Amino acid sequence: MNSSSTLYKKKGPLVVFLVPAFLFLVLYLYYPFVQNIINSFSNITGLGAPAQGLNDPWWANYQALFTDPKLRTALGNTVILTICTVVFQVGIALILALLVDSIRVGAQLFRTLYFFPIVISATALGLMFNLIFLYNGGMLNQLLSNLGLIGKNIDWKDTDHFMVTMFTPVMWQYVGFYFVILVTGLNNIPTDLYEAAALDGCVGLSKVRYITLPLLRNVLCTCLVLAVTGALKVFDLPWVMFGAGMPQDKGWLTGTYMYDQTFNRGNVDYGSAIAMLIVVLGVVLSNVANRVFKPRNDL
Amino acid sequence: MKKNRLFALLLAAIMLLTLLAGCGGKPGGSDPAKDPGPGASTAPQDTPKPAAPVELNVVTSYGGDDGNRKNYENAVKDYEDATGNKILDASGTSNEEWKAKVLTDFETGTEPDVLFFFTNADAEPIIKAGKVVDVATIRAEYPNYADNMRDSMLAVASDGKNYAIPSSGFWENMFVNTKVLSDCGVAVPGPDYTWDQFLADCQTIKDKGYTPIACSLFEVPHYWFEFCVMNNGTLANQLDVPASADDAAGKKWAAGLNDMKDLYEKGFFPANTLTATDAETVQLFGDGEAAFLIDGSWKVNYFVDNHGDTLEDYAISYVPAKGERKASEAIGGISMGYFITKKAWDDPAKREAAVQFVEHMTSDEVMSTFVTTEVTALKNGAAPSGLNPLQQSAADANAAITGVVGAVQDTITPEAKADLFANVQNVVTGAMTAEEAVASAIAVN
Repeated sequence: MNSSSTLYKKKGPLVVFLVPAFLFLVLYLYYPFVQNIINSFSNITGLGAPAQGLNDPWWANYQALFTDPKLRTALGNTVILTICTVVFQVGIALILALLVDSIRVGAQLFRTLYFFPIVISATALGLMFNLIFLYNGGMLNQLLSNLGLIGKNIDWKDTDHFMVTMFTPVMWQYVGFYFVILVTGLNNIPTDLYEAAALDGCVGLSKVRYITLPLLRNVLCTCLVLAVTGALKVFDLPWVMFGAGMPQDKGWLTGTYMYDQTFNRGNVDYGSAIAMLIVVLGVVLSNVANRVFKPRNDL
Repeated sequence: MKKNRLFALLLAAIMLLTLLAGCGGKPGGSDPAKDPGPGASTAPQDTPKPAAPVELNVVTSYGGDDGNRKNYENAVKDYEDATGNKILDASGTSNEEWKAKVLTDFETGTEPDVLFFFTNADAEPIIKAGKVVDVATIRAEYPNYADNMRDSMLAVASDGKNYAIPSSGFWENMFVNTKVLSDCGVAVPGPDYTWDQFLADCQTIKDKGYTPIACSLFEVPHYWFEFCVMNNGTLANQLDVPASADDAAGKKWAAGLNDMKDLYEKGFFPANTLTATDAETVQLFGDGEAAFLIDGSWKVNYFVDNHGDTLEDYAISYVPAKGERKASEAIGGISMGYFITKKAWDDPAKREAAVQFVEHMTSDEVMSTFVTTEVTALKNGAAPSGLNPLQQSAADANAAITGVVGAVQDTITPEAKADLFANVQNVVTGAMTAEEAVASAIAVN
């Protein structure tokens, strides 16, 4: 006991352990971040190309953020995606977690099944969903056609349907993530509370309403904050399925638009400004989410 | 306890060393002390053969569904077997995203050792940055380098030097599905095919329930753009780039875009042309659901590989003409070649292997497996064996070609190209005028 307390009094070893991680962060996070801020004010015409001085005026890119219709579309879609993430990802995960928690046999199987999509790469998932939503010979169109529900194929990526087509795979992929977190939270609720409640006649939905949800609040809040911040970073699945702004520049997200500007258009400085906007939005929204869904220590 | 502290310190030291290890070293693993540098080259006969097999990073456009992919893979295997060297192939499908990725790799210092890439304006960024070695420098050490090529056909960069050793050339023309045409009672177009005949044929085909034109306006609108621009100009002024949307070239481009809009509004493109990929629409054509497809010589082998049993259902024809253009005038030339990067050239372990690889890939024997009906820069010409029906059809069509010109899209910057082709969907749907699209592209050229 005495020797272990000596270890914690001496801060040297802790510093030695912290330095590599700190160096790593400085090299690969803080330095690029500061450079990105500088880039957003500079005139850079190609990725890796040197900056040709500052923009004229130096805030030109930030001014452009307010007048760019494609960015407005991207922001609008990202907000809708964030709302859908909160409602559907966390919502469905909660329902599934409550259902799985109430069964005795097969709970472990369902945990594995629902978590499984997360371990598949987004690129593979994107290609799979592309086949499902394919116009000619896609699974969904074939199914609906064989059931006699549609007369001719539906273009699931057109302006009328793209949002459902884009968001469904994203929702589907991460439901399992929140499901596992919530199931773990449910397992931590003492069973004697349920037994006591049952004696008082609190069963079924009342049990969920008055026992489970209040005691799950902190876990739920963590999930919601993760969902909000995670939605801002969604990129891979929509990019694989929709590419650059499909359909007709209506399908942009902030992540895909930033990527397109930087890597396809060579508009590196403007891409950096969009990246800054994403960071600011992330900080603001996560703070708001943290305040709204603040965990309570009295539970 | 002392043991624990020692163990902890050891762990921390290992973590730190691992972190720093990633920051050191030189790509390719060569020893800087032994690197003679670009100016200290040795004659090829004095260069000792690499003691250990060399690993070469190679990027080409022969990935994906490229028609020459098998030929490329066979040639690479032959090279590996003959030299013992290993090719780390990262080939992709040639499109704007692939080009951007290749250029980005150069800009971020992760370029390959040998690159098969476009020799036009697309390559200028890597040439200007000194990232590739010119042919004269290579020949100073390897006098026989690519001596089987006609030097006059090597692409000349903006600095007046040659950098790439050309592979096969290309042509772009109209593929037709003869089975669909036959079912619709439409004749296979000849070298005198007119735009008005084409519009009438498309309507007939559409009325019969087929898709007249297989094309993804989202992904590959450039095929139709090239020919529509030529239809509003001449072969001679095809490569004129507008200075503004109001000058002659700008008006020509806008008129070409408006012709595409007309085709779209008439419903001649696939219903999902604005959301489909090129692969989807090509499959539509291959499956006998569409009649016309403008594509390039590289697509011939795609049909050989994927529709080998029904090759007689496809033919190479002519893109309909209007104005001063004749349908027998097409897009073509030699637009790609093998570059050796400065990184590989400066690496003594890789220099010779890279030179050998390019010489192998551009040898008469290997080129003859790639070339069927395309232009080549080989002094002796290629000797393709046994043409299949589609290749024969291409050879017949090429025999009637009266004029060939390069693609105008190759003369503008990648940024302008990306902007112009991304706006095609906006033009055809009326979200933007053709003049606005041209002006937008020129602004970033």
